[in-house]
Amino acid sequence: MIDLEQRGPEKKNFENRLALIYIFFVFLFSAIIFQTYSLQVSSFIDYEEASNQNKTREVLVQPLRGIIYDRNGKIIANNIPSYDLVILPGKISDLNGLLDKLKEFLVLTESELLYINENFKKKAAYNRELTIKKNLTNNEIAAFEVRSFDLDNISIEKRYSRQSNYPEIFSHALGYVGGVNDIELANILSSQNLQPIETEFTYSNGFIKGMTGIENIYDKDLRGLFGKRIYEVDAKGKFLKELGFEKPKNGKNLYSNLDIEAQQVAFKEMKKRRGAVVAVEIESGSIVTYLSSPSFSINELSNNISSKEFNELLKDSNKPFFDRASQGRYSPASTIKPAIGLYGIEKNLISWNTTIEDPGYFILPEDQRVYRGWKEGGHGRINLADAIIQSSNTFFFLLAYQSDIYDLKNHLNNFGFGKKVCNDCFNQDIALLPDPEWKMNNLNFGWFKGDTVNMGVGQGYLSATPIQLAYYANIVAQKGLIKNLSFIKDNNEPHADILLQNISDADWKRMHESMIGVIENPKGTAKRLKNLKTYSIGAKSGTVELVSLDSKEEYKIVRQEEGKRDHAIIIAFGPMPNPKYAVSVVIENGESGGSVAGPVAVNVLNELINNEKT
Amino acid sequence: MKKLSFKKFDLFYDQYLFIAITLLSILGLIFLFSASQGNTSMVFKQGLFVLFGILLMLLISQPDPDFFNNISVAFLLLSIILIIATFFIGIEANGAKRWLNMGFFTLQPSELLKIALPIYLSSYLYHRRLPISMKHTFITLGLILALFYLVASQPDLGTGLVVIMSGLYILFLAGLSWRFIGISFLLMILSLPFLWNNFLEPFQQQRIKTFFNPESDPFGSSWNITQSKIAIGSGGVSGKGYQEGSQSHLDFLPETETDFIFAVIAEEFGFIGVCTLMAIYIFILMRCFYLALNARDRFCRLAIGGLSLIFASTLFINLGMVTGLLPVVGMPLPFVSKGGSSLLSFYIAFGIIISMASHKKLMQK
Repeated sequence: MIDLEQRGPEKKNFENRLALIYIFFVFLFSAIIFQTYSLQVSSFIDYEEASNQNKTREVLVQPLRGIIYDRNGKIIANNIPSYDLVILPGKISDLNGLLDKLKEFLVLTESELLYINENFKKKAAYNRELTIKKNLTNNEIAAFEVRSFDLDNISIEKRYSRQSNYPEIFSHALGYVGGVNDIELANILSSQNLQPIETEFTYSNGFIKGMTGIENIYDKDLRGLFGKRIYEVDAKGKFLKELGFEKPKNGKNLYSNLDIEAQQVAFKEMKKRRGAVVAVEIESGSIVTYLSSPSFSINELSNNISSKEFNELLKDSNKPFFDRASQGRYSPASTIKPAIGLYGIEKNLISWNTTIEDPGYFILPEDQRVYRGWKEGGHGRINLADAIIQSSNTFFFLLAYQSDIYDLKNHLNNFGFGKKVCNDCFNQDIALLPDPEWKMNNLNFGWFKGDTVNMGVGQGYLSATPIQLAYYANIVAQKGLIKNLSFIKDNNEPHADILLQNISDADWKRMHESMIGVIENPKGTAKRLKNLKTYSIGAKSGTVELVSLDSKEEYKIVRQEEGKRDHAIIIAFGPMPNPKYAVSVVIENGESGGSVAGPVAVNVLNELINNEKT
Repeated sequence: MKKLSFKKFDLFYDQYLFIAITLLSILGLIFLFSASQGNTSMVFKQGLFVLFGILLMLLISQPDPDFFNNISVAFLLLSIILIIATFFIGIEANGAKRWLNMGFFTLQPSELLKIALPIYLSSYLYHRRLPISMKHTFITLGLILALFYLVASQPDLGTGLVVIMSGLYILFLAGLSWRFIGISFLLMILSLPFLWNNFLEPFQQQRIKTFFNPESDPFGSSWNITQSKIAIGSGGVSGKGYQEGSQSHLDFLPETETDFIFAVIAEEFGFIGVCTLMAIYIFILMRCFYLALNARDRFCRLAIGGLSLIFASTLFINLGMVTGLLPVVGMPLPFVSKGGSSLLSFYIAFGIIISMASHKKLMQK
């Protein structure tokens, strides 16, 4: 069995083979050392970074939105703190014992208890806070303070909600705030070089952004910059300790030029009727009153409105969400007449001395169609000033009849019709300034001379929004100086000239006098406003006919249906001769511009002018 | 290779191996204390294992190697019986029955087999003509595969493969013909798809897939290996300091006390620590190489060679897995990882090696 001859070669063979495997292992272990070297030395920085990322968790800290002020420094939109009772489940062993203690002074509802029991374990595992009760009352806070010595790991935390002190009157001007969807959130955060991650909310409603109005337009400035809290975490994401805190930058405060008192007057005067009031400070072109009526509570909409209430608002036939000031399209009706008159003078079609005989109607020579005025029998022999004061239709039918529609369109466009006139109005509508191309494209009909004639009295296809009417009133008040409207007083942007070559300062004065006559002249259409104020006002009222009729008798039948009654409309500015404010008022189905819309406009001007703080 | 003589008692031991292994064991306890986040009772229990293991190693190294030659069949049979016992009275965990409850600790008998099999084969071939003949090649291969099947059906594929390896090392060292190796290798490759489909559990297939395509599953199977690499890499040259490893202490690293303890060491002691540890292992292997070349007879030669290669393989598989060079297979870091059976079997293996190193024979075979 033991072969001595064999022993030498066998041992040699064994040595070779063992050496072979050992050499193989030398390679293998070299690979291990090399791999470790490349991990620990060559790629150290990457892995150190990965290790740090592993153990740190950044949590965004929500900034507070900027506060919005009115022009007297009064707060319109604010962040109102509420107080929540918060516990640290990670440090609490006996939940039921704690709840028993809390129940001595706090009422916890079924749903609150359910929420606590469902989330306690999870929050404990990750060492996160758990809200026990939201919106503590003062009594509850006091009761807690008294017992706090006995209660560990439980505290009262401040959470904010966005609230306005005047929720109903600034609904459309301010707008409401609301939650964001994932895509919007990602966009908001990526604009600050952040990514959606866990967030410590400052607001009870979490991520919010402005949905409409100023809150929306100036959202970026109001929003502020998110801060960060950096925690050390374990693999499960449990917070172990806070490593750092980068404070959030609260949003910029916004100083609007809105005037709370004037807005309140407008709100009160509108009496929840459908319509809009816009008032502008002439010198700066800034909006001081911006009301769309009826309105809704932005506080409710921003903070937990119930779906039932929300649906009721949506279904309301008065359409409270609809922003009539920027989006409501109304025929300017007779309020257009000063602009048409200026057009006649600019184009040398008439002068202040040109007179016509007004029989109460105008017959279009092309087709013998009759265009009627509001006063049967007409106004007799009148000039431009009379035509404005008495609101003669015939005068302006005749004038429009002599006009070129494209020239007239350009002229009206300069006064704000058919264009954007506000820098920061939410979802502003440009309404409609028609021309033959528009009619052909949209109605598939050619332009008739009668269409131009209708434009002369602000009827027909022409429409404008209340904000456009305010802009127009502002230009007339300023004798042709124009400036886009804004909620913010911005004196950097200067007024420009409307560039009417043939209109002299004297012409403007005549126009102002005529418009003052609308109220002061015994024949003026708005003479009833005379005693409502102590200074003089330039104005032009209008009545928007919704149904085209031939006689007053027919209207009496039509007006039985409220929705078919005429809209009341007025533009006004004062105090003359150096006007400071211009205003436009529309009241749907209000019937009479002078006597229904007029008092609203005058009372708003009264508030602005009489209570001006300097 | 020393013999300490007392008055009536000679203690056989090898100072190099004894010092190196004792050093590793003590370092292992120190590492374990950090890896277990200061779990003193765990470290104390492991300390008892280490103490017992070192005494066992010393005890086993006292008899003459011929003793092991003589009892090799009994040792193998005992291991097999214990493995069979696991099928009946084994402790079940994660769907496998691999362990026996020994009261003080749970024993994994397949760990013993990876020592018993090479000893038995060394003994078997000691009595045969070498290089190994075809007939004996087939007999021994049959035994190896049968034992692999036994272990693999526990199921424990990892230890089964180590058992195969432990047998094949002996056959190779005994002069297995190169032609046979070549043909077998070809057959192996051809049968790989069959093995993949019939022998691997879905989770094992997933591990291997993940290894070749780690991005496919960053938070599933490859989470462990990603975290292990981060732990090692972030240790840098000098490490984060003892008990300062964030990867292990904040629970990012899995299995810190057992399979992934090397990552803990690398994180806390850096490349310097890794090199120091590797130096000790390489020292032990080089000493074994020397002892195998100078063994007193064929039995000792084969046994020391085979056992040391199993030690080297276990070490490589563990390090390869932890550093991301190999797929994740459960394999402990010898003398450092927590765990009784593996530790015990290596103390027994080195006890036998030391016995062979320290007993001389007049006539060499």
